[in-house]
Amino acid sequence: MNFLAASIESLGAKVVGWFTVGYAMFAFLAKAGLLLLDPTTWNRATFDVVVKQIYFTAVQILHVFLGYALVISWLIITIILSTARDFGLTAFASEMTIRVLVLELLPFLTALFVALRSGSAINTEVALMQVNNELDALAHCKVPPMQFEFLPRLIGGVFSVVFLAGLAGLLALLMGYLAIYGISTAGFEPYTQTIAKIFDFTILAGLIVKCALFGLAVTLIPVTAGLETPKKLFMVPVSVLRGMMRVFFAIVTIEVVSLALKYV
Amino acid sequence: MALMAAVAALPDDVARVALELPLRANLSALDNIALIPLYQRHYDTAESIRQAQAMLEQLGYAGIALLRDPDMTPAERFVTQLARALILRRPRLVIDRPGAMLYDEFYPALIRQLAARADMTGTWEIYDFNWNQVLYKQALDSE
Repeated sequence: MNFLAASIESLGAKVVGWFTVGYAMFAFLAKAGLLLLDPTTWNRATFDVVVKQIYFTAVQILHVFLGYALVISWLIITIILSTARDFGLTAFASEMTIRVLVLELLPFLTALFVALRSGSAINTEVALMQVNNELDALAHCKVPPMQFEFLPRLIGGVFSVVFLAGLAGLLALLMGYLAIYGISTAGFEPYTQTIAKIFDFTILAGLIVKCALFGLAVTLIPVTAGLETPKKLFMVPVSVLRGMMRVFFAIVTIEVVSLALKYV
Repeated sequence: MALMAAVAALPDDVARVALELPLRANLSALDNIALIPLYQRHYDTAESIRQAQAMLEQLGYAGIALLRDPDMTPAERFVTQLARALILRRPRLVIDRPGAMLYDEFYPALIRQLAARADMTGTWEIYDFNWNQVLYKQALDSE
């Protein structure tokens, strides 16, 4: 009986914990959203930090990311083409390539890339700021941490994932064309027709929304996880671990929901 | 305990220099100070940097402008925190337990020297433990 009560209590505590974390995250998002709509937020200082953040998250890693997207795209396209040839489905190869790579795999891998590179850094930095009282110091100086530290990271994350996924998608489309038709222009018309058939308004809007949600997940979750950190230095790795696990689950959930909405 | 209570009771319009109010670790001394004119008085970046540099020059520490917190000596870190507090332009400045920040300096003399250079309006107050009073007396006697 004691075991049962303890199990129920433990489960209840976990559920309450999840709700608390979820509430904190949505409350933070609502605050950030309201601040975004406030014209006074958009002063020169905030704009400068947003530009800097976009540079660090998207531009600084561009060459590494494009190399990585190139290799992944080339491999996946080669696998799809050889499989399509084996099963006599060459006619569907271009559509399959676009659907698998541009709509699903590249946005997902982009989100993982940004999460591992920037999300973990954001989580660690915010946790350290919290532990070292740097946020209190900013508040004492009446420098708003939301405008100076957090909002630029959220905007930078969303912009970076949308921008990088878009760029990787374009690269994959180009690679797909070269792999299927070579350097001849003969396949231009059927290939562009396939692209136009796939990318109707709903699919395109869905892709942009999905990438924006990925971007939000890889920045919002690390920021809120960092802010939850108790003021003890040894809790920083725990905070990063929790934050990154939540980011992973959020990315997978967004991908699964997006697939279900599209194909189920 | 009385000292802690006095610090806790300080109103909002007091600029504090304290161990619990550190610098932003990933910003240079200049950027830490420039944040105040940038966000509070909405100057552009160049003007905010100019004001921050002028403040460091006034305190005689222009050379630390590009250093980040981990690369500073305790005195350089204290001066940056002091410059950040001074640029707030609040009527009262409280230096809270300077011994905790300036642990390798004879700090009453350093603070006196900085106060002489700062040439600011408003009052400076030092909150320190009773047993450190003798240090301030020594600093006065040595002049």
